[in-house]
Amino acid sequence: MRFRVSGIRAREAGLALMVLVVSGLVALAEPRFLNASNLVSVGTGMIYDLPVAAGMTLVLALGGIDLSVGAVIGLTSVIAAMCLRSGVGVPLAVLIGLVTAGSVGALNGLLVARFKIAPFLVTLGTMSIARGAATVLTSGYFLSGLPGAYVEIGRGELLGVPYPVFVVLGLLVVFDFLLRRWKPLHDAFYAGHNPAAASLSGIDVGRLMFGGYVASALVAGLSAIFMTSRLAMGYARFGELAELRAIAAAVLGGASFSGGTGSILGAALGVLLLAVISNGFVLLRLSVYWQGVVSGLILVVAIALDASRRRRNGSR
Amino acid sequence: MNDGILGVHGVSKSFGRHTVLDEVTFGVRAGSIHALIGENGAGKSTLMNILGGALRPDSGTVTLDGRPAAFADPSAAIRAGIGTVHQEFGLFPNRSVAQNIFAGREPTGRAGFIRWRVLGRQAQAILSEIGVDLAPSAPVGTLSVAAQQMVEIAKALSLRPRVLILDEPTSALSDHEAQRLFRLLADLKSRGVAVIYISHRLSDVLQIADEISVLRDGRLVGRTTREASPGDLVGMMVGRHIESITPSRRTKLGEEIFRVEGLTRHGVFAEVGFGVGEGEILGLAGLVGSGRTEVARAIFGADRLDAGRIWLDGRTLAISSPRQAIASGIGYLTEDRKAFGLFLAMTVRDNIVAASMPKLVSRAGLLRPRAIRAEAARYVRRLDIRPADDRVETRTLSGGNQQKVLLAKWLSVAPRVLIVDEPTRGVDVAAKAGIHRHLSGLADAGMAIVLISSDLPEVLGLSDRIAVFRQGRLVTILDGASATQEDVMRHASA
Repeated sequence: MRFRVSGIRAREAGLALMVLVVSGLVALAEPRFLNASNLVSVGTGMIYDLPVAAGMTLVLALGGIDLSVGAVIGLTSVIAAMCLRSGVGVPLAVLIGLVTAGSVGALNGLLVARFKIAPFLVTLGTMSIARGAATVLTSGYFLSGLPGAYVEIGRGELLGVPYPVFVVLGLLVVFDFLLRRWKPLHDAFYAGHNPAAASLSGIDVGRLMFGGYVASALVAGLSAIFMTSRLAMGYARFGELAELRAIAAAVLGGASFSGGTGSILGAALGVLLLAVISNGFVLLRLSVYWQGVVSGLILVVAIALDASRRRRNGSR
Repeated sequence: MNDGILGVHGVSKSFGRHTVLDEVTFGVRAGSIHALIGENGAGKSTLMNILGGALRPDSGTVTLDGRPAAFADPSAAIRAGIGTVHQEFGLFPNRSVAQNIFAGREPTGRAGFIRWRVLGRQAQAILSEIGVDLAPSAPVGTLSVAAQQMVEIAKALSLRPRVLILDEPTSALSDHEAQRLFRLLADLKSRGVAVIYISHRLSDVLQIADEISVLRDGRLVGRTTREASPGDLVGMMVGRHIESITPSRRTKLGEEIFRVEGLTRHGVFAEVGFGVGEGEILGLAGLVGSGRTEVARAIFGADRLDAGRIWLDGRTLAISSPRQAIASGIGYLTEDRKAFGLFLAMTVRDNIVAASMPKLVSRAGLLRPRAIRAEAARYVRRLDIRPADDRVETRTLSGGNQQKVLLAKWLSVAPRVLIVDEPTRGVDVAAKAGIHRHLSGLADAGMAIVLISSDLPEVLGLSDRIAVFRQGRLVTILDGASATQEDVMRHASA
């Protein structure tokens, strides 16, 4: 995709076009796609993937990768639900859940930034630890019977729109703006593109990387809080394959495995594209079991696009 | 004239509408050294890639022993006896010297297992043959740049080439190491190898070449011998006559504003002390590995100091990171612009403001796009960076213009003290002269400049004083006006 649209958001424009084309195809095959209720369900279904994809974009821009986000969702869900069931107040339970998520992120950040271990390996390890811990804590069972005040977080609505939608959209808009315009975050592009040169330009690369992994885990934790609330239960397997969808969305949106690029708006459009496709599967009564195959396919295609883009750039 | 081993006949090559080689014809005889010189973008690398089989010409032919030779790929060229040593190394840093020399061609037994002892013996034989004292088992990543270059050459020679092509082989070598390379090339020549030597360094070319071909804008514009004067060669390369490559400068020195004392990093350098005056250029000369770059990195906070003090404008500085060094008024233009200096896939604008961003943001830390645009445009104009569009990716620029972008980055920071490390390595003559002019101008405007360079004429021409390093120690400080190359080399290699 090479768009010569004026301004720097050509890639996002291209992706938006792709979303429209795919939506059109789905709507042609199954007109119910355009029903208001269906569109709302596509929208609310994206709520959990959006923050995770935004966090992944930051980590990828920094030249890293975070495979642990899906597992962080499971662990946070279980911890928050356990707190609630043992009588801890809602605000404190949410806080404890987010602190749990943040701690996994801090561990990732410490191992990557301080001990210089490859992020793929670090987060592969913490992924297994977090998912394993969540499963051990619950012996694999659902934790239901959560207090109504907590369930209200995810199910309550303002003007017919669930609360989490406002929180997530607000988060994305702020995140998008800050990554493009706020120096401390914008430095991520320098740090991801050439860490040695960034450091010699006065950028604290280690601190940025640490912050990136903490942020990535925190937004995954936020997703977990909403998911646990809306579904009114804690479950160790929440967030399975969320890392895969987040990586696919972020790469579709302009992030690269070589670091130094990425856009929150692009990642959000990537999530939208995945959501439309998976909704199409549901409407066309294809088995939901196919969705893993399709997410994986899209990830592979996104990676292939990234690789060919890099080859083209590198050939000069 | 084309009685040589290798002939190039009317070779042309274009990329899109851009003609890189235009009807180039020349020949190389066995047992001779043929130098190919020209500015960046003159077409030297393209020609080398054609000879090495990496590119195919649009028209014209390459002949080997008088017979047309069309190489499908680099391995075909290698099989035909053409060895190539690239400017940027293709070595595997965590493999041994022996494994690198024989990468992909390791001696194996019948079942395909590598015969390590034979491998080590064969590597040792080649290293001895070219007079290099390296352990075949040493990991290449632990070697100095000069030693890595020797491994690269050993690798090319292990294929017993009849034609050896070297691209800027001395750009990372000290004078001493370059001389050793020249002895090796003379030896190869006496054994009948045809050597094609691509370089910017006219002094090298004039020392060793039997024949010199000059490329300009893809055309062969001159052919001469080493009897030519540097002025003649430069004239042919740039198409006009340049009297002196490096401007001599003498300034009235201002007060000393920057001083370091007792700088020590165990096992790397010890007890290094010097001062630099306002408007002074202090040259740091020495062989590669003598500790100059390491001292600079430590002053800049990129590496830890074990002991030593640093003063700027009379105040003691405690620097533990480049960030603090920059905030204190020290800048460091790194050697190896690709690895440590530039963000190649980012725009020229992004690069120019990379270190001066703190002054281009609002109090809340928000980028001010208009200020950033204006800042970048100012330095593109001031340093005559081409193309004059700061939105292009930096990697698309020529080496000389990339180096100007790096200089622009530090000018934008406007430090009190600027350390420049090999500021003109691998750039063409015109860009080099431009960079020299700017460094002089900065000093005239009051900046204190520390110039690290392995290019002796550059150090001698630009520096007010020259500090000579040897094995991690500052051995003497010479007066820039009276010092000669011999003086510096005597102290540097004694």
